Amino acid sequence: MKKMFAVMKREYLQAVRKKMFIIMTLLLPFLMAGITILPALIMAKGMGSKRIAVLDGTGRLQAAFAKPNAPEEAEKQKKLDPRQEARKALTERRRGPELPADLRVEYVNESRAPKIDEAARPYLERLSRDDDASDKLEGVFVIPASAVADPETRMTYYSRSSTDLMTQERMARLANKSLQRMRLRAKGIDPELLNDLLEDLPVEAVQLSRSGEKKTGGELNFIVAFIFGALLVLPSFVYGQETMRGIVQEKTDRVVEVLISSVTPIQLLSGKILGIAAVGLTQIFVWLTMVGLIGAFGAATLLMADVNLGQFIRPMVFVYFFIFFILAYLTYVCIYAIAGAVCNSEKEAQQFVMPIMLFMMMPWFLMMPIVLNPDAPFAVGFSLAPVFGPITMFVRAMVTDPPLWHILVCIGISIVTIAAFFWVTAKIFRTGILSYGKRPTIPELLRWVRVA
Amino acid sequence: MAEILAVRDVRKTFGEVRAVDGVSFTVREGTITGLLGRNGAGKTTTIRMITGIFMPDSGEVRWLGADSGTAFRDRIGYLPEERGLYKQMKLVELLLFLAEIKGCRPATMRKKIDLWLERFELTDKRDAKVEELSKGNQQKVQLIGTLLHDPDLIILDEPQSGLDPVNMVLVRNLLRDLRQEGKTILLSTHMMGEAEKMADEIILIHRGQVVLEGTIDEVRGSFGHNTLHLDFDGDGAFLSELPQVRKASIVNNSAELSLADGADPQQILHACMPRVRIRRFEIASPSLEEIFIAKVGEDTLAPEGAHA
Repeated sequence: MKKMFAVMKREYLQAVRKKMFIIMTLLLPFLMAGITILPALIMAKGMGSKRIAVLDGTGRLQAAFAKPNAPEEAEKQKKLDPRQEARKALTERRRGPELPADLRVEYVNESRAPKIDEAARPYLERLSRDDDASDKLEGVFVIPASAVADPETRMTYYSRSSTDLMTQERMARLANKSLQRMRLRAKGIDPELLNDLLEDLPVEAVQLSRSGEKKTGGELNFIVAFIFGALLVLPSFVYGQETMRGIVQEKTDRVVEVLISSVTPIQLLSGKILGIAAVGLTQIFVWLTMVGLIGAFGAATLLMADVNLGQFIRPMVFVYFFIFFILAYLTYVCIYAIAGAVCNSEKEAQQFVMPIMLFMMMPWFLMMPIVLNPDAPFAVGFSLAPVFGPITMFVRAMVTDPPLWHILVCIGISIVTIAAFFWVTAKIFRTGILSYGKRPTIPELLRWVRVA
Repeated sequence: MAEILAVRDVRKTFGEVRAVDGVSFTVREGTITGLLGRNGAGKTTTIRMITGIFMPDSGEVRWLGADSGTAFRDRIGYLPEERGLYKQMKLVELLLFLAEIKGCRPATMRKKIDLWLERFELTDKRDAKVEELSKGNQQKVQLIGTLLHDPDLIILDEPQSGLDPVNMVLVRNLLRDLRQEGKTILLSTHMMGEAEKMADEIILIHRGQVVLEGTIDEVRGSFGHNTLHLDFDGDGAFLSELPQVRKASIVNNSAELSLADGADPQQILHACMPRVRIRRFEIASPSLEEIFIAKVGEDTLAPEGAHA
């Protein structure tokens, strides 16, 4: 026990004191946030403002492409209580789209032009100007005169890139909304009345737990489940990998023989696995603390939007997280340890584990259907199966309220699986760790298990 | 003198290969015992069974020293043939770890480490990483790691392989010092010359079996005083054709001759006088190398074993 602890201590201290570890631990949350938030931000901002010419053959759509007027802007600045704010957003949505701030529209009334395509020609030329030219256009939107009356009419959006779907979509929406209103008025129907009549009522998702406790905000639950799932799965694999790398390194550095003459293979193996597990937990603890601090700010915002954060970040979630992380990590790490013990280089070991790992990661690939149907038979089956159990059960525990016996059975099965894996691993480890040269075949591995 | 370790009829098979096939010997306290044999004879496998790295298929290794019990492997200091250290670790931390996995309390070790570092002139490298050291210095660190926990039995597998002449002398002197301090040393080597200089007793292993064992004097004595060492000027090729000579190995201007039974060295001296100029003429026991060849046959001898 003392020796195992010595091995564990060495693994832990060596890993934790590495500069790379410290940098990754402190920076990764920001990196991840950057990776997820940045593209969305860029999409929304559309990479700066765009200048678009609208050639209106009908001559009646100027208002649709005008900037929102000033009084409304001022009203927005006023402080509203959250409920009022939400209601306001709803009415705004109903009133129809507005011109986004990043689009600068050059409106041209072309109702007098005999042929709108000809009138468009000089504008189309401006599409190919240099980027810094003052009259450069990013898009030209052409609305023929027949647009109001004739449903067969096609509007045209010209741009340099065929993939600027977002802008095209926004322009089309603005034009269509206005055109629809005009057609309705022409038939004597009040468009506001029609909108009210056809309004879709929103549905609020309420999760009812066994204890009768109500929870709302289901969509967010979905995202939180994914984040926690990733936080559980990824470190299990990353630290499994780390264990494997360490073992291969000891083999190539020929340190193994010194170690094995002093400690038993079981002591070495368990010291290593536990040491690296402690490293993983340290890292996750730091991350959760950081997320918690940032979340404290976020929580204030969410509270205003009528979302009760406490329902996701229940204390039980952290207990489950701890239990299922340990179980998942210990299940996977055995495979990595075997790979490290029987292979001579990291590359070789990588190839060895790849197919096995893909199989073991199945719940991760099935995350979406599991989150959507957490109580379906297949999800329950996965959560009670060896190997797949820990991840699946954790996700289920996040999004639904599985019966306690499910959770206990899952934990029991996982412990048995880990014990069996560990026993086999120790046997292979003992023989494999001192064998250099050719990688053993599967029958040879089985013989090691029987003989050692 | 008391025996400290007994190896009894151990066997180990790897697949089809019988690496060790019934080896028995004892190691006596306070001696340097040389475990000799060519590469692949089974020396390393035997040692690995002693150090607990391999379990023998049959037979046993018994600790006969003080405090015999299951933890006797903590009382062994082992320098494997394949040297290796954690390259990323600082010297002090590495040595502390090596002592710790031998069951020592780290707190008591710091002073000892400093003493050893001083002895090997590594004090200024105390906080350096292993990978920053020269090869020779890494060897020294490995030796310290072997000796740090004050083992009763020191097992060295080919301690001089890969050493430069300066460090070779250093190791030789260290072994002598350790024996002075009453340590027991088991030394595996294929270099007969080195073993001859250092060992008190030898165990000769060939193809997984002990073919010869005893003190150096016993072993030599049993082969009689029928060897001639000659140094001369001139062409000594004729020596191997003399009727009294059973076998001759002639290198440059010196020769080691094994005499036929009943041959008189005087006759050989006579035959030499007119042909070459004699500088040395010595009747002696055969060298370990000669004994080894006589015992296992010349054809099986690997070249690196012949010229240590």
